[in-house]
Amino acid sequence: MIDSSIEIQSLKKAFKLWHGRPSSLKSLALSFRRPKPEVLWALKGVDLRVSPGETLAVVGKNGSGKSTLLGIMGNIYRPTSGKVAVRGRVSTLLELGAGFHPELTGIENIYLNGAILGIRTRDMRRKVDRIVSFAELDKFIDAPIKSYSKGMVMRLGFAVAVQVDPDVLLVDEVLAVGDEAFQAKCYDNIAEFQKSGKTIVFVSHDLDAVRRVASRAVWLHDGAIRVDGPTMDAVKAYTSSIADEKEDRGERDAGKSDAA
Amino acid sequence: MIKQLSELLRYRDLLAQLVVRDLKVRYKNSVLGFFWSLANPLIQVAIITVVVKCVMRVGIPNYSAYVLVAYLPWMFFQMSLMDASQSVLMHRDLLKKVYFPREVLPLSMVIANLIHFLLAIVVFFVYLLVYLRTPIVVTWLFLPVLVLIEALLVTGLTLFISCLNVFYEDIKYIVSVVLNIFFYLTPIIYLSEMVHAPLAAAGRGSLFALYQLIPLNAIIIAFRKMLLVPYTVPPHREIAAQFQNMSNMPLDYRFLAIAAVLSIAIALLGYAYFNARKWSFAEQL
Repeated sequence: MIDSSIEIQSLKKAFKLWHGRPSSLKSLALSFRRPKPEVLWALKGVDLRVSPGETLAVVGKNGSGKSTLLGIMGNIYRPTSGKVAVRGRVSTLLELGAGFHPELTGIENIYLNGAILGIRTRDMRRKVDRIVSFAELDKFIDAPIKSYSKGMVMRLGFAVAVQVDPDVLLVDEVLAVGDEAFQAKCYDNIAEFQKSGKTIVFVSHDLDAVRRVASRAVWLHDGAIRVDGPTMDAVKAYTSSIADEKEDRGERDAGKSDAA
Repeated sequence: MIKQLSELLRYRDLLAQLVVRDLKVRYKNSVLGFFWSLANPLIQVAIITVVVKCVMRVGIPNYSAYVLVAYLPWMFFQMSLMDASQSVLMHRDLLKKVYFPREVLPLSMVIANLIHFLLAIVVFFVYLLVYLRTPIVVTWLFLPVLVLIEALLVTGLTLFISCLNVFYEDIKYIVSVVLNIFFYLTPIIYLSEMVHAPLAAAGRGSLFALYQLIPLNAIIIAFRKMLLVPYTVPPHREIAAQFQNMSNMPLDYRFLAIAAVLSIAIALLGYAYFNARKWSFAEQL
């Protein structure tokens, strides 16, 4: 269908886990039997349709397939079977400025990071000023980012990703970074994004952030969709299942659990 | 392959940014900067020249130029292969987070090294014209062709190596061992005639043909023949008598043509191989 921004049909994704895989030629030559990989189905048949302008949150436990799903939308993994179509320019919010080089200055890194996200250099030139002022780094922008604090690097990374002006924004965990004032700015930017009809897919354990930005949520469990619906319903179903699990584990283990 | 190439073209700014990054970062904190990339070959060639002239007593005038003209393309070959073997692995975090055509990683390494090579060639010509005062020869016009052939060869090999190194990290060690062998297998510190003379004397001239079928050998021989005037053996030195019957051989164009065809084939195969396996990088790393 033309009118959906992301369309996924019966998507399956298997990863091969090589236990004792020969990662060197020597061990490959020395092993007489080639070990068989264990096949791990990260996604076991997912159907999903996201409309333009929609903000979809994906929740679920570690290992439920959330990041794999995001990776397939971002063209990082190829589906084992099924169909995936994403329309428009896709941008990924890179955590902690992955792709930055510590020896380069802030400005140089902006161009580099823009290029990694697929932006032409001449288009970047028009965006640079906005990125610098959004990141609040005017004084430091010509210094190598190895001299930046962690928060400054995160602000710069966030500023580049949102100024790239994608049609579809994929977010893994980091939606708002920095101190409270900057986080508020991040949320404002997300809200603007939503108003202008862009699609956001947001994978997170931070259920407060999910409730705050997402209109719809998908609860992914063991590679399949358990609940797909309004954010409140999906999150409620997810949290109550966690609570049940905690009870099942009994009192002794309850303290250690970190299922959330 | 056409589709892959057109996508690569769309990401040409990323390629350019990565090349710029590599050039900037390499000398960011060094005072002498680009000088260091020249210092290494110059010192190497100086040592080789001293050994060959004073210890091995080969009395060929301007021998340093004959070594340098082979050593610079060798440096390009060696540095590109070493850099590229790590290029994909080095960016494993990025590969798992964002999509871009993966081949920009090894290709940017090749281009950065190519730029170093071209700058070194400029310095080489200054050395020839200002210091040695050798005559200008018309075959200098072939230089771009030679560089192109070598660049294709290097590109193909780096695509194979960078890809294989993701799956088997032994590759980088194998590469450095093989490069070590090739340094002596290739006519860099010696002249190709020194290989030919004993083979021809033993009636094994065909082995020399085999020697030239190795693309890198044919390319390095061509660099030497095209950029420098034929070497001369001064007659008055009795120590050079052994080289008297070793006449300067003209460039055999057939072998350069074969090297060109092989280089194009290696580049295409390398690209196809890389493209076939690049999807599994993110899953492997």
